Amino acid sequence: MLTALITGLAIGALYAAAALAYNVMYSTSKVLSVTTGHIFMVSGVVGAYLIGELKLPTVVGFFGAAAAGVVFGLITEFVAIRRVLARSDEHLWLLSTLALATIIQQGVGLWWGTEPKPFPRLIPQDFTAGIWDQKFWLPIATVAVLMVGLELFYRRTLFGKIFIAVSEDAFAARARGVATDRVRAISYAIAGLLGGIAGFAAGQLTYAYFALGLSLTLNGFIALAVGGLGSNMGAVVGGIVLGLLTSIATFYFGGAYQQTIAVGLLMTFLLVKPEGLFGDKRTRHV
Amino acid sequence: MTSNPTSPAPRATLAASPSAIGASAAHRPARETTRRGELVATGLTRRFGSVVAVDSVSLTLKAGEIHGLIGPNGSGKTTFLNLLTGYYKVDEGRIVVDADDLTAAPVQRRPHFGIARTFQKPRLLGSLTVLDNAMLGGWEHAQSGFLETALALPRARREDRQQRELAAELLHGVGLGNILTRRANLLDHAEQRFLEIARGLTMRPSFILLDEPAGGLTEHEIEQLARIVVQLRECGVGVLIVEHHTDFVFRICDRVTTLNLGKMIKHGTPDEVRNDPEVIRVYLGA
Amino acid sequence: MNSHQGRLAVLLVGLVALATLPFWAHDPYQVHLATLIGAYWILVAGLNLVVGYTGLLSIGHVGLLAIGSYAFAILVDHHGANPYVAMLAAGAIGGVCGFILGLPSLRLPGFYFAMATMAFSMIVSEFLLAQDSLTGGGAGIAVPGFNKPFDTPNGLFWLVMLIAAFVTWLTWNVSRLMWGRAMIALRDSDVAAAAVGVPVFSIKLIVYTFSGVTAAVAGALFGSLQSYVTPETFHFELGLFFFICIVIGGRGAIIGPLLGTIVLTALPEVVAPLAKLGQFFYGALLLLVVLLVPEGIGNLVKIVREKIRPRRLEKHVVAPDLARLAAAIGNRSAS
Repeated sequence: MLTALITGLAIGALYAAAALAYNVMYSTSKVLSVTTGHIFMVSGVVGAYLIGELKLPTVVGFFGAAAAGVVFGLITEFVAIRRVLARSDEHLWLLSTLALATIIQQGVGLWWGTEPKPFPRLIPQDFTAGIWDQKFWLPIATVAVLMVGLELFYRRTLFGKIFIAVSEDAFAARARGVATDRVRAISYAIAGLLGGIAGFAAGQLTYAYFALGLSLTLNGFIALAVGGLGSNMGAVVGGIVLGLLTSIATFYFGGAYQQTIAVGLLMTFLLVKPEGLFGDKRTRHV
Repeated sequence: MTSNPTSPAPRATLAASPSAIGASAAHRPARETTRRGELVATGLTRRFGSVVAVDSVSLTLKAGEIHGLIGPNGSGKTTFLNLLTGYYKVDEGRIVVDADDLTAAPVQRRPHFGIARTFQKPRLLGSLTVLDNAMLGGWEHAQSGFLETALALPRARREDRQQRELAAELLHGVGLGNILTRRANLLDHAEQRFLEIARGLTMRPSFILLDEPAGGLTEHEIEQLARIVVQLRECGVGVLIVEHHTDFVFRICDRVTTLNLGKMIKHGTPDEVRNDPEVIRVYLGA
Repeated sequence: MNSHQGRLAVLLVGLVALATLPFWAHDPYQVHLATLIGAYWILVAGLNLVVGYTGLLSIGHVGLLAIGSYAFAILVDHHGANPYVAMLAAGAIGGVCGFILGLPSLRLPGFYFAMATMAFSMIVSEFLLAQDSLTGGGAGIAVPGFNKPFDTPNGLFWLVMLIAAFVTWLTWNVSRLMWGRAMIALRDSDVAAAAVGVPVFSIKLIVYTFSGVTAAVAGALFGSLQSYVTPETFHFELGLFFFICIVIGGRGAIIGPLLGTIVLTALPEVVAPLAKLGQFFYGALLLLVVLLVPEGIGNLVKIVREKIRPRRLEKHVVAPDLARLAAAIGNRSAS
């Protein structure tokens, strides 16, 4: 049971990170990108490749994975968002991010293979540690650090304040001379960094698996919907709730209906409290 | 309640052209719609946060009457129109058409009570032709269900044909008869506005509410618009014109209501309103 | 009009060629492929009303395809039902599932709705794997064929063609009569739709339910064609493929998505390197279309034609014909 709880927390941390990434990208572009989950997949695969196959040091793997996340975030912005936002059709970016997500997933599948491959050990530790195994606390600790970092960024740095300005009123921000295009690109890079680090940290939990992206896109979205779009606290709470729920349900009823339970949670919230636990009631849903 | 108040001779004679006689015989509607007598709004109030956009405004629109609603920017006229048509819910007050209370009716139910409207910024279906756009108004009187339509049963085909004929006649009536097959996204501003009016008329309304119809029109086009609106009155339709263009309003309206800062400040004939000191003060500035 | 007669002639020739395909095809595999395209098209035709006309982003329709296949197989094999009845029953089940899925989801905004449909297809997969006493779990299930007169591969081809033609006719009717305009209004301007009294939610629900029926019927035929299916057969990417056929083919039309389905299904068969790329190719194509020709390739022809021969739009001064206006409105007294 304890293992189930810890697993739930760990996987919940990953979902929370995905929800945070959604928030960061949404704040400057008002877009929910289908590629969100794929950031984590890419960094996990790159990390496994660098450390596992190329036998490079862990540090190199870490920076490589983080860089891969950043690059993918930027690619998302340049390719799927920038040109598309100029046109008024609001569904177009859903198609473009869906297309990009398919491309990256299938591309990685072609290169890396379609079987989940084990992610290498990052810190020397044998496999008898039980609930203290790094595959659990690495993601939890990492996401906690990332969340604190994100809050500090928004509140303490000038950049962060510019972000908040753009997210609240892009038009006014532009009128004040803020280059909203560049701010948007940077926010996608930040989301990529977030996903890159978290995906790398959670690699031992998820394995390096090409199909992780879509699953994380969906579950990260569920965490977001539960927690409330636009709220970072909500993202974390939503992620943890979802992680614990699926983990405990698996413990008692077996793992066959994980997705169904998760979606059941989603639907309940969307019907009862569509703005989520911490969301703003007036938030214009995408 | 009679629908034809005595009025000066209309600009166009009705039975002069043979086409009119032939046209009226050709499309006797399958379902005779009963014409409504009065649209009565009593004490409508609408707040946005602490701002009272509309403050206890009452207005009666009779069939066969042209009623102008004027006021400076921010006076609440568009908000009032949106209350009448259901885009905003009233905080206080009642909206009644003859014996039916439609205060709580959602937007898509208002046409059922004989209310049609146009928009300040025309909402057209750009990928469809002018004729198709006008035919959309026929939905209110189309009774064919999905299966009936899918199987192209006689009633579905007949209704489509009747709507097509009606829409074509109305389009000729407002002066767009030469561009029936043009795609709507190729229309210029005036054509878009007149198309919206035709679409509204295809709904066979008792009341048509025009939102700043003269905006962006040339002198000549405003003249045409005036002739059309007067003709509508002759046919017993009640017209509410929300307008900024006071000359146009004073010229053709039977009654005028003036708003300022959400409150009604004067109501009466065009002459009474035009010469009212409060109205003059509000419009010409202090 | 010559172009109209020309198009009718092309259509007729095409239909004749299609009807006689088994006789002039080189090998049975081509008949198999044509049958597959036909089965896909039955689903896509219904989905086209949902995506291309009403503008709903349903990316998880593969779940309904799966339900159709499995329901058909279970009804015939486990309960001895007549295959034709079973196919219709599967269609009904698909309609009910579409209804149940649509009820909570159709009120949600775009991204949420898309995610809900994706989640649905994943739930269906989970269910198929988990209920292995009913569905055979991961091992899959055998799907029987039909009885006389459609009990041969050629027979199945003709059955699929008949049903495909019927479904195409249904959707064509819906698109060109009043419902078609109402659906496009929901897609392009729900403000306009509400202003003319279109009941937004119930139209969406009805169209979505219909697409569930066609998807499940397609599933029965598809399963019968493959003769054996597993949950893996109905992976999410297949649902994406249907969606892509419509987007690439062009929205607001029937022919565009039809050609899209034909081309995109046949392409990997004809161009070998594409087969290896598989879904990667579809994703890349979708991205290109969305960035360059968002209206869809089907509408590209129209757009290109307008660019090459820009019809000088004569600017007519708007001249109302008040007599016709008055006659059209009619002069009725109030109640």
